[in-house]
Amino acid sequence: MKCTFVPSICSYCGTGCGVLFETIDGKIISTIPMKSHPVSQGKLCIKGWNLHEHINSPMRLKQPMVKTFGRFINTNWDEAIQITADRFKEIIKEHGPDSIGVLVSAKMSNEENYLAQKLARAVIGTNNVDHCARL
Amino acid sequence: MKNTVKEWLENGIVDLFLGYKMSNGHPLPHCFTLEELTDVEQLIVSETRYSLEKIATHLARKDPELKIGLLARDCNQRAINVLTVWHQLDPEKIKTLNVNCCPSPIKPQADCSYLSSQAVPPYKQQVGVDNTLGVETADGFTNQEKNIRWMYEFQKCIKCYGCRNICPVCFCAECTLEHKDLISPGTLPPQIPIFHLVRASHMAGRCVDCGLCEDACPMDIPLRLLYSKVNSIVKDVFDYSTGESSEQPPFSVLGEKVTLSLKPM
Repeated sequence: MKCTFVPSICSYCGTGCGVLFETIDGKIISTIPMKSHPVSQGKLCIKGWNLHEHINSPMRLKQPMVKTFGRFINTNWDEAIQITADRFKEIIKEHGPDSIGVLVSAKMSNEENYLAQKLARAVIGTNNVDHCARL
Repeated sequence: MKNTVKEWLENGIVDLFLGYKMSNGHPLPHCFTLEELTDVEQLIVSETRYSLEKIATHLARKDPELKIGLLARDCNQRAINVLTVWHQLDPEKIKTLNVNCCPSPIKPQADCSYLSSQAVPPYKQQVGVDNTLGVETADGFTNQEKNIRWMYEFQKCIKCYGCRNICPVCFCAECTLEHKDLISPGTLPPQIPIFHLVRASHMAGRCVDCGLCEDACPMDIPLRLLYSKVNSIVKDVFDYSTGESSEQPPFSVLGEKVTLSLKPM
């Protein structure tokens, strides 16, 4: 039997509380607050305490889905990204880059948010970038 | 100490050993095994406290035959006793390596995160309950004052369930605090003082006074003090010392006959 403790950051909001995942044989059993973490100092809110439940949830989507003729169809990542890129190209060609807006999230890290705005400005060509925490 | 752990693992006295190791600059719990015996060199003892016995119960639930060794402070040891009494751990399968903890006249030196508790801010001292008060001092307020002070503490609750989740002796499959008829879901603050008092009453004869709940409380509610009071009543009325007795607390209602008996006069 293998039991490990994996330090991580809570993915629920932008606060960045330190959590520790307790795993037994590769399956996450529970979430423990990281006592020495400078941000959370061993405390968590109810969402952080239950991180392992959404990871283990049978309702969790494990692969991308594409809506085709009003129904969601399972697909792989390559195809999903290709379809998204094609649709974006079409929209930009037809209505211009400012017809697209990018809404980033507090659930991502600072670096991921930076990359998302870079994608919006450099690739799509729009300044329409906003953040869910500003809503 | 490292040699003892190595010896235990090598001789098969324990299948795995729960201790602490520095990882990414943090002292974190670690599971030492025979396959990674060289890791034992990094075993540390520090102020950090995690509920290792709770992890042991998770492991024991997966594999009841597993022999688990763990680093135990006095509070861990008391929690293991309670878990054994409640059949969550098999005393034959648990081996503890005791470390220095909880100062007493015999042991003046101690490593415990609880002892380095922060200063209580003045507003809390004025209107709430100071976490560092003893049971007697906290009992010294008038009834009305007690009510106001404790209600101030309880209304801060953000219902994170951290006190229950971190508690080494909370193992019930079904928890009263999650029963929708008793504690209605989706309301904040939770119904006070019922939420806290329900938990406090369930801590009677269970709480080992480790203080992890207070450590984990984001709102700094003096939970340890509350449960200490509850357990002092258990001690006074039923003469039952939680964590030291090898019998189940007097409130075990399972079974054929009523076992509730008062402390002899």
